[in-house]
Amino acid sequence: MVNSYIPETYKQALELLADNNLTILAGGTDLMVKTRKWSGLAPGFKGDMLFVSQLKELDFIRREDGKIYIGATTTLEKLLHDKNTPELLKMAITQMASPGIRHTATLAGNIGNASPAGDSLPVLYILNAKIVLESIETERILSIEDFILGPGSKDMKNQEMIREIIIDDVEFDFVMYEKAGGRKSDAISKVSFAGAFTFSFGMVHDMRIAFGAVGPTIIRIKEYESRFKETQIRDLVQMSDNIKGLYNPGIQPINDQRSTAEYRKTCALNILGKFLSEAETSIKKGDKH
Amino acid sequence: MAEIKFKLNNTDVHTEKDLTMRLLDVLRDDFGLIGVKEGCGEGECGACSVLVNGEVVSSCVMPLGNASGKNIITIEGFKKTERYQILHQAYEDEGAVQCGYCTPGMILASESLLNKNPHPTEEEIRDGLSGNLCRCTGYNMIVSAVQKAAERGEGLW
Amino acid sequence: MPNISKSIPKQDTAEKTSGEALYIGDIKLDGMLHAKTLRSTETRALIKEIKIPDLPEGYHIIDYKDIPGENYVEIIFEDMPVFAEKTVNYFGEPILLIVGEDKQIILDILDSIEVKYETLEPHYKYTKSVIHYEYEKGNSDVAFVNAVRTINGEYTTGYQEHIYLEPQGVIGSYEDNKVTILGSMQCPYYIKNAVMQVLNDDGNGVRVQQATTGGAFGGKEEFPSLMACQVAVAVAKLKRPVSLIYERTEDIITSTKRHPSKIKFSAAIGPQLTVDAIKAHVSLDSGAYIGLSGVVLQRAMIAASGVYTIDNLSISGDVYETNSVPNGAFRGFGAPQMFFAIEMFMEHIAKELQQPPLEFKLRYVAEKGDATSTGGQFRDPILLKDMIHKAWDVSDYQRKTTEFSQPGSNRGIGMSLFLHGCGFTGSGEQKHIKAVVRLRKNRDDTVTVLAANTDMGQGAATTLRKITAGVLEIPIEKVIYNKPDTDLVPDSGPTVASRTIMIVGGLIARAAKELKEKWESGVEILVEERYKQPDFIKWDEETLHGDAYPAYSWGVVICEVEVDPVTFRVDLKDLWSIYDIGKAIDERIVIGQVEGGLLQGIAYGMMEVMDCKEGIIQQKNVTDYIIPTAADSINMYTYIMDNPYPLGPYGAKGAGELPLVGGAPAVAMAIENAISKKITKIPVTPEYIMELMKNG
Repeated sequence: MVNSYIPETYKQALELLADNNLTILAGGTDLMVKTRKWSGLAPGFKGDMLFVSQLKELDFIRREDGKIYIGATTTLEKLLHDKNTPELLKMAITQMASPGIRHTATLAGNIGNASPAGDSLPVLYILNAKIVLESIETERILSIEDFILGPGSKDMKNQEMIREIIIDDVEFDFVMYEKAGGRKSDAISKVSFAGAFTFSFGMVHDMRIAFGAVGPTIIRIKEYESRFKETQIRDLVQMSDNIKGLYNPGIQPINDQRSTAEYRKTCALNILGKFLSEAETSIKKGDKH
Repeated sequence: MAEIKFKLNNTDVHTEKDLTMRLLDVLRDDFGLIGVKEGCGEGECGACSVLVNGEVVSSCVMPLGNASGKNIITIEGFKKTERYQILHQAYEDEGAVQCGYCTPGMILASESLLNKNPHPTEEEIRDGLSGNLCRCTGYNMIVSAVQKAAERGEGLW
Repeated sequence: MPNISKSIPKQDTAEKTSGEALYIGDIKLDGMLHAKTLRSTETRALIKEIKIPDLPEGYHIIDYKDIPGENYVEIIFEDMPVFAEKTVNYFGEPILLIVGEDKQIILDILDSIEVKYETLEPHYKYTKSVIHYEYEKGNSDVAFVNAVRTINGEYTTGYQEHIYLEPQGVIGSYEDNKVTILGSMQCPYYIKNAVMQVLNDDGNGVRVQQATTGGAFGGKEEFPSLMACQVAVAVAKLKRPVSLIYERTEDIITSTKRHPSKIKFSAAIGPQLTVDAIKAHVSLDSGAYIGLSGVVLQRAMIAASGVYTIDNLSISGDVYETNSVPNGAFRGFGAPQMFFAIEMFMEHIAKELQQPPLEFKLRYVAEKGDATSTGGQFRDPILLKDMIHKAWDVSDYQRKTTEFSQPGSNRGIGMSLFLHGCGFTGSGEQKHIKAVVRLRKNRDDTVTVLAANTDMGQGAATTLRKITAGVLEIPIEKVIYNKPDTDLVPDSGPTVASRTIMIVGGLIARAAKELKEKWESGVEILVEERYKQPDFIKWDEETLHGDAYPAYSWGVVICEVEVDPVTFRVDLKDLWSIYDIGKAIDERIVIGQVEGGLLQGIAYGMMEVMDCKEGIIQQKNVTDYIIPTAADSINMYTYIMDNPYPLGPYGAKGAGELPLVGGAPAVAMAIENAISKKITKIPVTPEYIMELMKNG
């Protein structure tokens, strides 16, 4: 039997992490599946465990000075109903898993899983998410693209835990989230996409695009985004092929038991095209997203 | 050995079991609550659904340690309530029960949904039950049952 | 009963909603041991050596050497071993059981057993035929000679896995020289016969009881016999209770599935642009062992002309053995594969001949008196044309077909026409099953139904009692039906082939009629009925000629979809279906069967993907093998026709499998019409749609 620690305070949690080699367990919806054994037997965790979902200090979402701060133990369900949660993130959460999972799963958990198919990740990438990692002695703030190193791999030290996630608080003019799964609910993404525009004087002021499940990590290429600054809105759809052509080589999906590389690539580029045309349409209609 | 305390079907309980154990196994094997079923062990099918502080959760992916201080209700506890009576009757009237394996979980998911949203639309019901798989009914009679329960249970939720 | 179809509350709802119903995983017997299966990690190999470590006290290995009888599982083709002996023929094949008290120790033993294999060359394609059938109707050779053209089609269908919510499980126990098997099952007597064989028992030493069964759909027709044999051998040896309950992944990888198929058609088109003859070849992948595959092949072949009367047929089929998981029964049993193929083929012929498909098909729809595909006869009224018109009406089919065929429309509508032969194919009922039912009137004037048919959710406990109460004209509360126990009930045959109401219910109705005549209050009376094949049913098993089935149920499904041009995903918009099942014994129960079966058929047609790569199933869990959630289902408009069948109880025919059969062709046709590309395989996944859209 492994030892399990259920600290009452965040400080206690950090102290325990400093002194012991612990595996952090939040909601459990990922780790409990990965380690499961025969029914009736304890899961195959190799070392002692630190339970964190009870840490109330990390259960928060607040806005301050152009940023939104989300505590590591805030559940997806809570985020879904909180007025401070950006619409784009809500769009992703609505399509994540199922109600039962959303009641205990956390954003930090979804990030910590570092799966390229993580539904929230494209949104977090375009919101320039920063992951705050804390240990009893240190605090590191990593951009999400530096935190996630590859499938299942992250830059996190033994004594650290995720304290909070910081994302941009921006009022976009148009946002889109799309996920292609095997069914309408409770499905792992074959392809996911988050995109956002801010316009100014009929031109692109800020364009952000990220793809999920089509490479070892989320694909966001800021350099391409800046190229389209000052494009006229009415030219967006015309530029569509250009933009798709740019992103095409960077999209390198695989074949697996869920889907094919060709489908994922075609879908990803189609969704990109849809993003551009819907943005153009919505601006013309005078909608503000 | 760590001990945790929680409320189980309205009774205070405590246990010294390994806190990484699946709540599902603890409920079935230690507390004899066999109304909580194992259908997949991956948190996908919802047959293991329980209510944690009123919200439906898949107990096969919930470690025992996370139950600490919480209020856990299984079908054995829920069946004593008036809300259960309304749901049970609606399920019966609509033909929503065939093999029955998904049913306790489905009833608890229905309760979780109505608890938050006493007058759900059809789409909201389908979404609210989307974590509970049923292979027998095609779901429509279950959706009708929840609609019926919402109507009949006016004021209860 | 004034109106038998009027719905009543089901017998078992309360125990299921309250969580009180006991499924096999809920049952613990004193001194019960757990069992875990050691499985082959090769797809085809010789077992050279098995190194088993010293076992702690109380832990045992059970393998083929412990079998008192013969090492095979009794089912139609007796080629499946209980435990692998010298060779393994599929990945996951059971080699032995480890039995003991503590699960962790069992797992440790499992991990420490070393199996040395010598790999053999496996085969995975349709190359090794182990069963071949063929039949003829009329003279198709002449028709092909006279044809003005020939139209060909080739259609492929994939696996389908049952995903009954309750995984497979049996518990064996031992008392007074008797081995009792309790389990999740459809067919107690199949299991009893199989266990008798492995234990070399004359029947008195074996008892089988059904536990509440959490879904089956054919997946618990023959497969539990394998587990029961293994457990029975363990129990006979150890004389202690043994529980064998599968985990979901183990169940998905190693239990029987729907046979994948490839069906090739050729149609001879006559000078008037008529379908004068059809030649077809059906290939089924049986996996490593044949089991029931021959019967599945027969049903598929017999359905080769669908609901159409085609005068000349030349139909052949083969079962191919491959080194992959053995396939078996699944609701429809060969018909879902064939109806996808024949419905698409007729649609494609019509489109090729530039004829409106529905009008074209209507010319061939069978009518009473027509010869069936195997030269039998449709003796009963066929309401299919009325059903088509009704479906056409309620769905606004004409307008939508026109509207959706406009360029730029992403919507499509499709109509499938299908039938299902009720009961066992050919003379199975007469020759093999020989069903017996009994009714026992008790002293307190209650009546107990004694039959081996099981309720697996489809409501047999309620419907069989309804028939009894109706004929006896007593309140239904006075009729008792218990979960079958082979010590207490006669062999009324398996709960398969859509026979429970029509055949077994029919026998029960006859028994009830007899009991009514003999009725005497306060006295115990036992009546028995045995199945007798109607004289007019003639069937030649060799040539596959004559009446394959005593009766047919019919259906129409109309499906409307919208295909997303961006992700190629299919949105179900509407579903209408109409069925002739003779008479509904309980309307709500029938509609429950229809909605569940139709959704299974639709998902078979567009959502359920299972690949087998080099003999290994790739979608191993419920995360990867996708079945519909409540969010994927939609409201269905269902209509039941009234067309009483004279030989069925209250006029009832078979209803269990029919609804699944129509789902896949309807959704495939709707998608084809939405994207204007020919569809020749299911499931019609977004990936396949994308391929078709790109490559034309």
